[in-house]
Amino acid sequence: MKVSELVQKAGLTAINEYKDREIESVYISDMVSDLIASAKTNGVVVTLQTHKSLIAAANLVAAAMIVIVNGRKPSEDVVALANRTGIGLFSYDLDSWAFAKKLVHLGFE
Amino acid sequence: MDPCTHDWSMCNVRHGYLVEEGCFECGARHSFFSAEPAPPIEEYCEGRHFWAYRGSFQTVKFDLKCRACGRIVNLNDVNGLMLSECTDGDCQVGLLVRQRGPDSLVYVAICPNTSHPTGECVSSEGIEALNQYFKAKLEPVGRKVTVVPCKLCNSIDRCRGTSIADVGLTDIQ
Repeated sequence: MKVSELVQKAGLTAINEYKDREIESVYISDMVSDLIASAKTNGVVVTLQTHKSLIAAANLVAAAMIVIVNGRKPSEDVVALANRTGIGLFSYDLDSWAFAKKLVHLGFE
Repeated sequence: MDPCTHDWSMCNVRHGYLVEEGCFECGARHSFFSAEPAPPIEEYCEGRHFWAYRGSFQTVKFDLKCRACGRIVNLNDVNGLMLSECTDGDCQVGLLVRQRGPDSLVYVAICPNTSHPTGECVSSEGIEALNQYFKAKLEPVGRKVTVVPCKLCNSIDRCRGTSIADVGLTDIQ
């Protein structure tokens, strides 16, 4: 599934411009040290973190997109860094569990 | 010359704490990785230093193993990675950030003793392997990163950047 298709089907709000890449994995974590060791290439990173560290780590694991749950919004400098990496930032109104259920419903396993 | 082009993957992934200590006597600082369930906070003497706990945060350490030839590069001397946003024209990292431009990011590999009293820093072998590992991962998605040792930094304490660490994640930068 492409990023744009997930955005539309899951009702995500785009925070920045993004590259429409194919999604190959999902990783849910709020710890950047965990992310760097466990997230896979072209993945969706699901988190409630909005810190710059998140982008620095997501870039190194070649994440396709970051979904920030609970309706949180990152600051402008975080968005600017995400723009430099080409990682799409998205906001989701509900929590990680609700988004995980949505992903399973959409066929992610 | 190494005949293998290397296909690196992470190995020996261990989660733990990066513990920072300072010396009461001379003001020196150092850090080390602890895989204990709780970070050690005891004060102790070591040579002329009297080390006291300054803080800790959760982190991860790993080594790199080549899938092709089986070689393992030990990254014990890497305590963390920092995305540099250095603008200091007198700093080698700052110059590199400027040369690379906005589409290429520079990460600094931070060694245990950033004051480098012995001149030692992250090994060149480790830096080379990290660059090859991230290049293989990121080039297919059109991203560029360069990893450099922290000894190229004028001052890691004053350097502008974002550490990949579970510390200060709720702080305003």
